[in-house]
Amino acid sequence: MPQLDPAVFLPQIFWLFVIFGLIYLFIAHSAAPRITQVLEKRQARISSDLEEASSLQAEAEAARVSHEKALEEARIKATSTITAKREAIKSDVEAEYAQLTEKLGAEFASAEVKIIAAKDKALDEIRVMSVDICKEIIQSVSGLDLDKKIVAERVSAKFEAVKDNANG
Amino acid sequence: MASPLAQFEIKTLIPLQVAGYDISFTNSALFMAITVAAIMFFMTVGMRKGALVPGRWQLCVEMCYEFIANMLHDTAGRDARKYFPFIFTLFMFILFANLIGMTPYFGFTFTSHIAVTFAMASFVFIGVTIIGFAKHGFKFFKLFVPAGAPLALMPLLVVIELVSYLSRPISLSVRLFANMVAGHTMLKVFGGFVVALGALGVVPFAFIVALTGLELLVACLQAYVFAILTCMYLNDALHLH
Repeated sequence: MPQLDPAVFLPQIFWLFVIFGLIYLFIAHSAAPRITQVLEKRQARISSDLEEASSLQAEAEAARVSHEKALEEARIKATSTITAKREAIKSDVEAEYAQLTEKLGAEFASAEVKIIAAKDKALDEIRVMSVDICKEIIQSVSGLDLDKKIVAERVSAKFEAVKDNANG
Repeated sequence: MASPLAQFEIKTLIPLQVAGYDISFTNSALFMAITVAAIMFFMTVGMRKGALVPGRWQLCVEMCYEFIANMLHDTAGRDARKYFPFIFTLFMFILFANLIGMTPYFGFTFTSHIAVTFAMASFVFIGVTIIGFAKHGFKFFKLFVPAGAPLALMPLLVVIELVSYLSRPISLSVRLFANMVAGHTMLKVFGGFVVALGALGVVPFAFIVALTGLELLVACLQAYVFAILTCMYLNDALHLH
C-alpha cells in the first residue's frame, strides 16, 4: 500500500497545511462574509417587505373601519333628520288643524247666535202680528172690544210657552 | 496490468528539499491545489452577482453555506459560530477532494492517504482540546467523568472515556481514509474484470456504473461525517456534555 510509505507523509502534510491554510483564508475573509452579507441583505429585505405589507394591511383596515364609521354616522344623521322633519310636519299639521277647528268653531258659534237672534226676531214679529189678529178674531166672533194690552199679555204668555217648547 | 493500488501512488512532480526535509510538490499536492482552485471558482463565480433572488449556481453556494451553518448551530450551539469558517472550509475541502478524486483516469484522491486524513483529524483534535482547556481550564477533565456513574466504577470509566477521547483522531482519520481506499480499489478491481472478461465485461461494467453512483454518495457522506463529528467534538469542548 503506497499510503503506508513514510516517505510520502511529510510532503503531503506540508502542502496540505499550506493549501488548506490558503483556502481557509479565502473562505474566512472573502467567501463566507460575502455569502453572509447576501443572506443578511435578503433577510432584511424579506422582513422589511413583510413589515411594509403588515403596515399597509393595518392602514387598509383603519380605512375600512373609518369608512364604516362614516357610513354609520351618515345613517344615524339621516334617520334623525327624517324623524325631526316628520315631527315638524306633524306639529305643523296639528297646529293648523287646531287653528282651523277653532276658527270653524267660532264661526259656528256666531252663526248659531245669528240664527237664534233671527228666530227670536221672527217670533216677536209673529207675536205682534198675533196680538192684532187675535183681537180682531175675538171682536168679530164675540163683538167684545178687548183692551189690546190684555190680549198682548195673554198672547205673550202663550208664546213664551211655545218658545220654550221650541227651544227646549 | 497495474495493481488496483497503483492509483494511490505518490508521484513527485517538482522535487523540493528544505533543510534536509523533503517537501516535494507531488500529484497529491497538485490535487489539493486543483481542489482549492475549484472551491474558489465555485464560490467566486457563484456569488459574483450576490443577487437578491439567487440563480441556480448561487443557490448551490448558499445551500452549502446554510447546510454547514445549520449543522454547526444544531450540534454545537450558538457560541460555536466563530468556528464556522473552519468547519465550512473543512467540509468544502473534503467534499471537493472526494468528488474531484472520482474523475476517471485522471483523478487522484488525496483523502485516500492516511497521512492527509490523520493530519486533518489531529489538527481538529488538538484544536478542540486547546479550545476546551482555554474555555474551562482544569474543569475540562470533567469530560472524562460521566455524570451520575457509581463511584466504584469511576476509575474504570475514566480510563474508558480517556481512551475513547484519545482514539478520536484515529477513528476520524481512518473512517475517511478507509472509505476512500475501499471505494477506489473496488472500482479499479471491477474495471480490471471488464477488460479481462471480454464480451461478458458488460456485467462488471454495469456494476461499476452502479458503484460509481454509490461512491459519489460516499464522497459527499464522508465529507459530511467528518464535518459533523468535528462539530460534535467542538460541542464537547465548549459545553462538556
